[in-house]
Amino acid sequence: MSYCVHCGVELDDQARRCPLCGTPVVDPSAREPDREAPFFASRRVEVPPVSKTELALLLTGMLASVTICCSVVNLFVGRTVAWSLYVTGAAAMLWFWCVLPLLARHLPVWARLTLDVGAIGLYVYLISLALRGKWFFSLALPILAVAAALALGLGLALPVRGRSLLTAAALVILAFGVLMLGVEFFWDRYFQGRWQPGWSVAVFLACVALVIPLVIVRRVPSLREEARRRFHR
Amino acid sequence: MAQPGGKWYRLDSAALLYSALQSEQYSAVYRFSAMMDQPVDPAALQRAVDRIMPRFPGFGVRIRRGLFWFYFEPNPAPGPFVRPDILNPCPPVRFGQDNGWLVRFYYYQNRISIEVFHALSDGGGALVLFRSLLAEYLRQRGIPVPCGRRFGVLDPDKPPRSEELENAYARYAGSQKGRFGFLPRAYQNLGTPEPFYTLHVTMGFLPLDQLRARAKSYGASITEYLSAVLIQVLLEKQAREKPRRPRPVALAIPINLRGWFPSETLRNFITTVRPCIDPNLGEYTFPEIVAQVRYFMKLHINRQEMRAEFTTKVRFADNRLLQLVPVVLKNPVVALNYKLLGIRPYTATFTNPGAFEVPAEMRPHIRHMEVILGQATVPRADCAAISYGNIMEITFAGTQKETETERDFFRFLVREGIPVKIESDRP
Repeated sequence: MSYCVHCGVELDDQARRCPLCGTPVVDPSAREPDREAPFFASRRVEVPPVSKTELALLLTGMLASVTICCSVVNLFVGRTVAWSLYVTGAAAMLWFWCVLPLLARHLPVWARLTLDVGAIGLYVYLISLALRGKWFFSLALPILAVAAALALGLGLALPVRGRSLLTAAALVILAFGVLMLGVEFFWDRYFQGRWQPGWSVAVFLACVALVIPLVIVRRVPSLREEARRRFHR
Repeated sequence: MAQPGGKWYRLDSAALLYSALQSEQYSAVYRFSAMMDQPVDPAALQRAVDRIMPRFPGFGVRIRRGLFWFYFEPNPAPGPFVRPDILNPCPPVRFGQDNGWLVRFYYYQNRISIEVFHALSDGGGALVLFRSLLAEYLRQRGIPVPCGRRFGVLDPDKPPRSEELENAYARYAGSQKGRFGFLPRAYQNLGTPEPFYTLHVTMGFLPLDQLRARAKSYGASITEYLSAVLIQVLLEKQAREKPRRPRPVALAIPINLRGWFPSETLRNFITTVRPCIDPNLGEYTFPEIVAQVRYFMKLHINRQEMRAEFTTKVRFADNRLLQLVPVVLKNPVVALNYKLLGIRPYTATFTNPGAFEVPAEMRPHIRHMEVILGQATVPRADCAAISYGNIMEITFAGTQKETETERDFFRFLVREGIPVKIESDRP
């Protein structure tokens, strides 16, 4: 029979340390304990996760039937325009967004984002095909890539534990400003052949002007305390 | 409405909640264990389970998803089968897996354990099943044990009675609903989470007579005294953390309604009370906390208030608009509701199903009883207690790494002069 010198509780004969405070059990005159079975079982069992395959199959079936129906109808109605491509693209995009997370549940953020953005890209590509436009590779794809890169950056930076609300807001505003710069850059390149900085610079500067006070408040403890006091919930 | 034993039946209002919440990360499962005087014979235990389960049709069900609600139906699958015990008790149930069984039976050395999904029954109902099972197990081992409703040992040869399977909430729901409103957020006592499936269990064994004498010296019952001890250590823990704004410490204490509303139901029939101490009002001495808890319980545990409380839940499920929402959309709403009304306003759960009484013939064969609450939705310790003979068993179970809550709780009892023996599955 041994007791914890800190907690004063009686311990199991086989205990090497107190389970409450971790203090080792030291008894120089103790005999080697009989190897009785431990008080608790040692077999570890985990319940398998809930299978989402059924739901995934159901959704896949629904999306596939919509796509097939529309493709068949397109052969007879409105044959001049391949409008069923819109539906097909939307179905494919929804599949990547809703069904894939059910099947591959432990995908890292970057992989999931790449797939989701890829699905949007595919949809926009199908629209460009339906409209017979040539704007996809020179305009839509670069803008999408910039948006995806920014979203990935935010997705990795924001969920960090203890990230202050001010920093998070500053990052989001800054990302929006950069996106606007990118939109105008590719827009100008596509329509005018060269970059003529205009409205996006104004938007970007406005974003920077918003971010600066946020960063200052974040950095100066007295201001931070003041903000906390004024905006406390 | 179809009754149990027939084709299918509806969930009661507590079961609706637990079935909606049961998810990857939450286990609405609790466990009772009996430590026998001899190593368990699995074959005899299996025979006992096979004999006893038809007598308890409310436990021999599986849960199915309807369009608007879940429902129970008799489970035709073979089983349930007894199995060797596991290190991580109370894993979540998965509807449709494990042949759809919502009760589990385990054995390990001298210990027989039963795990029950809370949607089936509360502790009061599950203990009747467990007591009857232990009696039948001893009979299988050649020890004559009488059956008698007086001790809650049901005769496996008799057919189930409809009173045991009634929805007592619906029967006693009144016309007046309780006050509906958000309770203030309580201190959350969150620790560092371990990976899921790591349920740390720490049990303390105390002499009941000394505990009762100590509680009596404060003029309190055992439940009131232990609740006050838990509140005291949680208040001290919060004070050590030096929060910018201290929160009240509030416990969720389930109350067995059968004592106030006569019912023989083996399904859920509980409500909770919320004794609470707000440190912002000033410092409370321990005797003051005991008095607060005691008077709170005396004030709020009455037929009228408790009826209004569960009438609110019954009426919630009767809401026409809610009824028409498909169950897949309803579950997140119920889960959010639980987060706001069932987690945020509470610091911990403390449940004490009371003394486990058995017929005199069974007494020499059971050494002590144990109870464990399954994993909460957040990493914090929940406390449960059960007494048998002169042994009071108190369990802290949770997925947090820290042992502060249980350490301070048992140290407090030791300082109060009550000897405590500790068993833990922590390495």
